Amino acid sequence: MSSTLPVLKRTATIKINDGKQVVIEHLAQEIVLEGAGAALFAKIAPLLDGKTSIGMIAERAGELPGRVDALTAELSKAGIVSLLPADDKNDNFTMTGVEFHALHRKYCSFWLQPVYDHPLWEKMINGSASRAQVIGFAFEKYHYIEGAHEHMGVAAANATPEMMPHLARHFIEEYTHGDIYRKGLKSLFPDDLVLNSQPLPSTRALINFLTETAARSSFAYYAGNEVLQMTENTNDDSAAKSIDDFYAAMRKHYPYSNKLIDSFIQHTNADQNLGHSDVFMEMCQSVPPLTRREVVDAMNVSRSMAEHLMLFMDGIEICYAANENVPRLPCDLLSE
Amino acid sequence: MNTNQQKYSVRRVYETTPGKDGTVSLRLNDRVIELGGREHGMYAKIAEWLPTSRDAAQLEAALGIDAPAVDRLFKTLEDAGLLYNRAQIPASVTGVEFHRDYFSKALPSWLTQSFDHPFWERMTSGKGSKRLFSGWMIELYHYTLNANRHMSLSCAHTRVKPLKAMRAKHYAEEWNHYHYFSKSLRALGFSNAEINNSVPLPMTLALSNFMRQAAREDILAYSICSAVLEGTTVDRGTYNPYYEKCVELYEIPRTAIQPIYDHLDLDIKYGHSDLFLEMLQKVEHIDAARAGRILEYGHQLVEHIWLWTDNIEKYYDNEKNIVPRRQFDPSLD
Repeated sequence: MSSTLPVLKRTATIKINDGKQVVIEHLAQEIVLEGAGAALFAKIAPLLDGKTSIGMIAERAGELPGRVDALTAELSKAGIVSLLPADDKNDNFTMTGVEFHALHRKYCSFWLQPVYDHPLWEKMINGSASRAQVIGFAFEKYHYIEGAHEHMGVAAANATPEMMPHLARHFIEEYTHGDIYRKGLKSLFPDDLVLNSQPLPSTRALINFLTETAARSSFAYYAGNEVLQMTENTNDDSAAKSIDDFYAAMRKHYPYSNKLIDSFIQHTNADQNLGHSDVFMEMCQSVPPLTRREVVDAMNVSRSMAEHLMLFMDGIEICYAANENVPRLPCDLLSE
Repeated sequence: MNTNQQKYSVRRVYETTPGKDGTVSLRLNDRVIELGGREHGMYAKIAEWLPTSRDAAQLEAALGIDAPAVDRLFKTLEDAGLLYNRAQIPASVTGVEFHRDYFSKALPSWLTQSFDHPFWERMTSGKGSKRLFSGWMIELYHYTLNANRHMSLSCAHTRVKPLKAMRAKHYAEEWNHYHYFSKSLRALGFSNAEINNSVPLPMTLALSNFMRQAAREDILAYSICSAVLEGTTVDRGTYNPYYEKCVELYEIPRTAIQPIYDHLDLDIKYGHSDLFLEMLQKVEHIDAARAGRILEYGHQLVEHIWLWTDNIEKYYDNEKNIVPRRQFDPSLD
């Protein structure tokens, strides 16, 4: 029997239906327990607190330790329960880079869902977004891609030996990508206005967060940057079709955005040709095993990146709705 | 680029209010201009056209008037103060002129913009909650704690000796003020462990990251941000009613707001709101480009405060979200 202390994930939601069925939701998965399994879970759930051993749980619930052990082991495999070491000193937690990659993908796909569901996408698809929101979206994308200059430069300059070749290569491949968006914007605005335009604070927040992370942890930085890559590059046919449909709807409702959309597509193609969707896996394969602290840091940065992407979308939707002036021109002594 | 596009820019409009019979009031920092519906439509078309690559003929077609009439309209809008002629931007200003003629004149409008988020009206009208008040206090705690991330950095990046001393003194006086907010949070029922292990919202972090960006770029850009923030705390008449109303409406213990008053009183005692002027008195010359950049930082800080409020309301209004926010833990999440 395991000597671990099982703990139910605090982000799991539990619905117990008359003790006959238990529905556990965690991230995007739903697990249904029925019959004896459901009844056992209902009894032991309050004791899955990370402080009580399996033997003690069994005793308090009046169950056989073997049954409790078997159920918690199954729930652990499903990612609903963690088995903590009975003694903190025995926390020999390590994770390979490849294991981290899988963990990262699983959680970030979930964390990104609100970004994909953001109402601004629907507004742009059905034509109810304003001119300022549409052009503002293109400007903020430009600033965010141009911001790679800052965060990728800082990342390469502060890289660990394992990460340096990846981060240097990525900078060299990306530093001109802002110009792809700039070219689209130049179809509507003079070049000097594009270059001097000011990002929204929410876009600045995203760039600054990556830059600050890049200065202190190469791996956490790239885990965060990968969240952006997940939204830009896709090998998934249905996701690619959704993006195509989005661009087609934009062209239909906002004919002036044609060249902007050409630039979006050109950038996506450029990234795909560079194989950027595989870079994070290559990095994960090259790093030494990660400690708990490194995993926690990289996952926190990734979660925060998804939150910053929500801010990015919120900023465009709210700020450009409130102010029709686009681009955001810099202040001067008479502007205020 | 057309002559009018080279010549004119649009002044910032802080508020647009529709009036009766299609009229529209535009509030600038020093005046309110009322336009008829047709005039406002023409102004909006000009404001949209000015920064674009579209030629004069396209504007004439959009406005339905000929070139001389367009020129007359630009002149009228300039006289009204809605447009300005870029040739009139001074080549440089002294530090004192910058403070007196530009910063001080913009600050009241900036502060109004910072706090015109519906959150404040909601909280004082009884449509808020103790949860929202607590969330705002948690983020205020992090924002004050994070002063250690940017104030010290501003000291490190200041190169001019008289300014170095002022920035250092400010940091020395402010660095531990987060204790006031942790005291408030304890009075609201949070444990020390909950407070110490809590994680700020992204926009709270963004505020301090923006201040760090300013600190690295230009000490006056950093200092205008600091001055805007200090400007939010100088008037007891502004902040007391908010706290008093929250005590009344949401059963907030008085012990949770007393530390906030103590902190604000201390800031006033230190005279931190005068620091920007004291610094600028040491600055002989600011060229136009730098002055514009400094103002840009000040105004972006204002926008940060608005979006910060928005982020706080959205997160803490959702009952499903954990309070206080915690770090991701691979075993527990």
